[in-house]
Amino acid sequence: MTILCVRFQLPPMYEAALPGLLGLLEEFTPVVQALPPDGALADLRGAERYFGRDAVELASVIRVRALALYGVDCLIGAGPGPMLARMALRDARPRMTCEVPADAVLEFLAEKPVAALPGVGTATARTLCEYGLDTLGRVAAAPLSTLQRLVGARAGRELHERANGVDRGRVVPNGVSRSLAAERPFDLDEVDPDRHRRALLSAAGELGTRLRALEKVCRTLTLTVRYADRTSTTRSRTLAEPTAHSGALTRTAYGLYESLGLQRARVRAVLLRAEGLTPAEQASHQLTFDPVDEKVRRIEEVADRARAKFGPRAVMPGTLAA
Amino acid sequence: MPGFTHLRTVSGFSLRYGASHPERLAERASERGMDALALTDRDSLAGTVRFAKACAKAGVRPLFGVDLAVGEPEAVRRDESVRRERRRTPVRGGAFIDESTPRATFLARDGARGWAGLCRLVTAAHAGEGTPLLPWSGDHGDGLTVLLGPGSDVGRALAAGRPDRAAKLLAPWREVYGDALRLEAVWHGRPGTGSGSLRLAARTVGFAAEQRIRPVLSNAVRYADPGQGQVADVLDAARRLVPIDPAGELDSGEAWLKGAGTMLAVAEQIVEAAGFRRDTAHRLLEQTRATAAECLVDPEDDLGIGTVHFPEPHLVGAGRRTAQRALASRAAAGMVLRGHSGKREYWERMHHELDIIAHHGFASYFLTVAQVVDDVRGMGIRVAARGSGAGSLVNHLLGIAHADPLEHGLLMERFLSKERVVLPDIDIDVESARRLEVYRAIIDRFGTERVATVSMPETYRVRHAVRDVGAALSMDPAEIDRIAKSFPHIRARDARAALEELPELRQLAGEKEKYARLWELVESLDALPRGIAMHPCGVLLSDASLLSRTPVVPTSGEGLPMSQFDKEDVEDLGLLKLDVLGVRMQSAMAHAVAEVERATGERIDLDTVPEGDPATYRLVQSTETLGCFQIESPGQRDLVGRLQPATFHDLVVDISLFRPGPVAADMVRPFIEARHGRAPVRYPHPDLEEPLKGTYGVVVFHEQIIDIVAIMTGCGRGEADRVRRGLSDPESQGRIRVWFAQHAAAGGYDAETIQRTWAILEGFGSYGFCKAHAVAFAVPTYQSAWLKAHHPAAFYAGLLTHDPGMYPKRLLLADARRRGVPILPLDVNRSAVAHRIELVSESKEWGLRLALSDVHGISEAEAERIEAGQPYASLLDFWERARPSRPLAGRLAQVGALDAFGANRRDLQLHLTELHRGARGAGGSQLPLAGGRKTAPAGLPDLSSAERLSAELGVLSMDASRNLMDDHREFLAELGVVPSRRLREARHGETVLVAGTKVATQTPPIRSGKRVIFTTLDDGTGLVDLAFFDDSHDACAHTVFHSWLLLVRGVVQRRGPRSLSVVGAAAWNLADLAELRAGGGLDEVAARLAEPVPEGGGDSTGGRRIQMPTGYEMHPWADLRPAGQEPSQIRKLWHQSPGSAG
Repeated sequence: MTILCVRFQLPPMYEAALPGLLGLLEEFTPVVQALPPDGALADLRGAERYFGRDAVELASVIRVRALALYGVDCLIGAGPGPMLARMALRDARPRMTCEVPADAVLEFLAEKPVAALPGVGTATARTLCEYGLDTLGRVAAAPLSTLQRLVGARAGRELHERANGVDRGRVVPNGVSRSLAAERPFDLDEVDPDRHRRALLSAAGELGTRLRALEKVCRTLTLTVRYADRTSTTRSRTLAEPTAHSGALTRTAYGLYESLGLQRARVRAVLLRAEGLTPAEQASHQLTFDPVDEKVRRIEEVADRARAKFGPRAVMPGTLAA
Repeated sequence: MPGFTHLRTVSGFSLRYGASHPERLAERASERGMDALALTDRDSLAGTVRFAKACAKAGVRPLFGVDLAVGEPEAVRRDESVRRERRRTPVRGGAFIDESTPRATFLARDGARGWAGLCRLVTAAHAGEGTPLLPWSGDHGDGLTVLLGPGSDVGRALAAGRPDRAAKLLAPWREVYGDALRLEAVWHGRPGTGSGSLRLAARTVGFAAEQRIRPVLSNAVRYADPGQGQVADVLDAARRLVPIDPAGELDSGEAWLKGAGTMLAVAEQIVEAAGFRRDTAHRLLEQTRATAAECLVDPEDDLGIGTVHFPEPHLVGAGRRTAQRALASRAAAGMVLRGHSGKREYWERMHHELDIIAHHGFASYFLTVAQVVDDVRGMGIRVAARGSGAGSLVNHLLGIAHADPLEHGLLMERFLSKERVVLPDIDIDVESARRLEVYRAIIDRFGTERVATVSMPETYRVRHAVRDVGAALSMDPAEIDRIAKSFPHIRARDARAALEELPELRQLAGEKEKYARLWELVESLDALPRGIAMHPCGVLLSDASLLSRTPVVPTSGEGLPMSQFDKEDVEDLGLLKLDVLGVRMQSAMAHAVAEVERATGERIDLDTVPEGDPATYRLVQSTETLGCFQIESPGQRDLVGRLQPATFHDLVVDISLFRPGPVAADMVRPFIEARHGRAPVRYPHPDLEEPLKGTYGVVVFHEQIIDIVAIMTGCGRGEADRVRRGLSDPESQGRIRVWFAQHAAAGGYDAETIQRTWAILEGFGSYGFCKAHAVAFAVPTYQSAWLKAHHPAAFYAGLLTHDPGMYPKRLLLADARRRGVPILPLDVNRSAVAHRIELVSESKEWGLRLALSDVHGISEAEAERIEAGQPYASLLDFWERARPSRPLAGRLAQVGALDAFGANRRDLQLHLTELHRGARGAGGSQLPLAGGRKTAPAGLPDLSSAERLSAELGVLSMDASRNLMDDHREFLAELGVVPSRRLREARHGETVLVAGTKVATQTPPIRSGKRVIFTTLDDGTGLVDLAFFDDSHDACAHTVFHSWLLLVRGVVQRRGPRSLSVVGAAAWNLADLAELRAGGGLDEVAARLAEPVPEGGGDSTGGRRIQMPTGYEMHPWADLRPAGQEPSQIRKLWHQSPGSAG
């Protein structure tokens, strides 16, 4: 009952407001972990005694302040550990904190579908459902060895523990934001590779700008292509060196796109995601004797400043302006 | 001003390219003052016959041609050493359709020679794999004129600004076609230098002058009228399988059938741009006209419309004799063989028939059919003649028809007479599963130069049109699917009218505005061909000249030779067609007989089963005739219940009565009244007692009409048959009336008799049914009912294996269960590829063992491997020897086919997965089995009972272990639903609730001209037949069409001891209600039932009716395959919890 999981109801693309909201949480406890783009975990173990209120009451205070100060509503889940707090958040509704009491964890989990457990993705969930382990209660009842046969040794053990309510996670203060995404939808089914590439160029440019604004670099770039029939393909590639340089991101995005070899696929949207974000000052950069690279980076810096002053469309590649 | 002739025009038979029907093109050409018009479809001559007929009607001279992709000649083939970059295989969506091959247009010039050349070119172009491509080696033909347009290799080189290369490419063409070569200029007002641009047209004309080749002007017509460019865009998108790109190159909208004045203006523009004087345009037009004038192909003489070609006599066993002599001697031999040699009557009939055959010169035809039937029988395949051919004694003597025509009173004149000038047609039924074997045998016998199957254009109807247009317009696939499935199977052009009028489309009609453009385009695709398939039964037989009279292409699946012409074309062309129908019931019966022999050693010869078997007729009279040939539909069960057939003749009458005509003319009621002695039998005149005696004075058969006319007027039966045909046409009816009255009066009949007889002829004349057909149908009906009565398990095994009827398999299974046939589950150690019978040890009864072939996604090879490897000792043994694919093994485990190996079904699946992983990795080192034969349990939860049922439906499409309605028993009892079994006791007019799974839905044409939805529900205890009249459609239609489980409130209607139906007044989706009951209890159910239903607006068509040729009126939306999914295709149970298997 000491961990809160908060999700601020921010409009998309406004993650810049997140630091302020995190500051709000930090007034209650120093142990706050950001969950970008719009969430955070807060450990209230100390705060409960300090403020003399329990976590649910504190949650109400947080909600009121967020609304008063920022005009942002939030959903809050409370539980004995981060995992349970996250799961509680899924059940939370506006103005209603969902709490998982420490002594009713198993009852809370028993009826939940397996996919609700953090760390169980669609593939694992499908495998488990195929074998009739569709609720966490059934997973908890299954022998550990069987689970390990199903999903692998380590994943099986973790699944077993989590399904039994053992929450070993903890809130890591100042946890860095882990990913940024930029999506470019199309109005009609689009098969033209030129327009796909244009969308990628624009998305990669946006990611670069946002990364540099946050002073972060990314290690991995993931491309998701969504099709008309609501399916999608995802490919990711690790960059040669962590970077926030738009040119490098664009090149990688093009490479990812080429690897799909799409011809007649009806593309409805492309989504680029920068993952593995680390602070820019910790990133290394391979210098070259080629002056072009240096120049491009300097131009980028100037362009960023121009954009900061005159808006995001002030400076952009020629193909996008057309 | 003289008219302009379009030398390049495509119709809808250029699949997904041309946007107008050939008929429309001919009409428009005539309206715009053209004397001639060419049809040059892409890769196809399929539209030729329709076009020729339409042109004859419109008064336009037709020119025939084809547009083909042509391979590169050797001389100019590009250097192969330059490796082109291979494109990566796309991860999604597939590769682009390659349309880059250059195309040329070929026109037939010199009569039959030119036509034969065209046919050969098309045949050659389709000979290879993949898309049709004429190899350069096959690019020659006599009597052809070739147009090289913007799409040809020469045109492309000009577009690329390479006249030098164009000259090089032109050389091989000139070598082959010399003076018959033309360069074609097209201007569609496009910019740039590409196809349709002014600059390319001008370059073409200039290049032609330079090369001394005659240029012609064309408009590359794709549609008849201006403003159809959008349709062309949709077709392009559907062909290339991409959405329309509004920013890409769209159709110019100019490719319509422009008149002479417009084309002159076009010509002037082009010659001016080419640097000539303006009046040179007339020379360009003159060249075009001269080219058109050279192309002389006469539809009658050169295509062979109206002449007949039979296989050569020596091929059909005539030796050196004439076909007529051979036929006569074979018929005489048949007389002796069948023991008729002493009967004078038979000899007279035979000679009479032979005279008629000789009169038409059709002897070869009879010998050909006899030869085919002999061959088929020699292969051990069940074969039976159907149709009017059964009325001929010669057919019986040759062994073609089974029934003796004299015994059953069948007439030769109904089939063929001196007065009839159309080709006779004999249909033969064979086992459907072996139909292709029969085709191959025919091809082997006569050779590919004489035999081809007939094609059948698949045309756009509303559902396909919605799908293709929706995809072209980038609509959401799920949304497209929903819209398409809401429609019944109607014509595309009725889409908007249906939205207005059909109650089940009301919801969709509300969104009509959202997709305004969709509906417009959907309607414009109406009836355009979208593919060509093999006709299910027609086979062409001809002499050796077949290939020069029809283009032959291989069918996509089987690679059989197929003519591009369809059924009607073939008849018009005078090609002999034999209908070889694959009848599933024949296959099913063959399987049942084989099963009985395999299991018991008893040999049954169905053709000699005793007639008048009481058990068989008891079964028929009980109306439990599910699965029996021709008498299983709800309407037939009702009729059989009222008619209570007791003899073979009764079956014949029953089948004849259950036709739209007799039902509409209400011939059923008087017949039944008379049969049960409730009404006196009346004849108009004692002379007519003989023909009408068998049917209690009611006219049922065509043969009776012929006899009546022949007796009353003394005109002879051949003439009488002509008269009978004339009766259905209101125009000729008046003339016949006068003629009939005169001749009958001359025959000494009084005016009142004539009046009464005429009333009968007029009323029933056009509705009757050919008795020869009915007799041919009744034979398998009796045989199947006999099997059902005496060998039920084998009968169901046959039915389930070959799936002949109108009902889903699960209903047949439910019927078997009801009739006490034990259903044995799927078991890899016992099940075979097909359904089998098996002795159940406890009860000493024959049970039905389910088949491997019904498992979803099993391949034939896998099923055979599993059967061949039986028995299996353990799961590992099964996995290693039967080598099923991993998903298949999982499905087998789900439905319990592996239960014999121990452990529960989920544990088995886990073991299978590990076996699969082990097989993939480096030799699975560890066996995950607990040694020995039994599989060790892994502690996974077993499938619950509902999950098992769901798995059975998903994998087998059948609820094999129990009826799925059993799960709702309790809820239905709460609601007070009357089970089917107890419905028999319900009073007439009582309001009841019934429920069940929907097994059939129909909207047949009925007498009142209203649209009635007939639905059959299966509730586990039996069937309930429901009818919804149009006052309830607003409330019920959508629910009835789109739900699978139904709860219906209705009123009981009784018409006889065994005839009972429920007239529905309100319908709910039972699956929803059951869910509400499970989730929120009865109160939620009550809330749903209390929801108001839409008020009935009655007939929304405003009284619009379709006048049928037979004279009665039909509701415009009756007689369609209804909306929603076919019941047989439903594989999902209503409750699909996330944990359900599969």
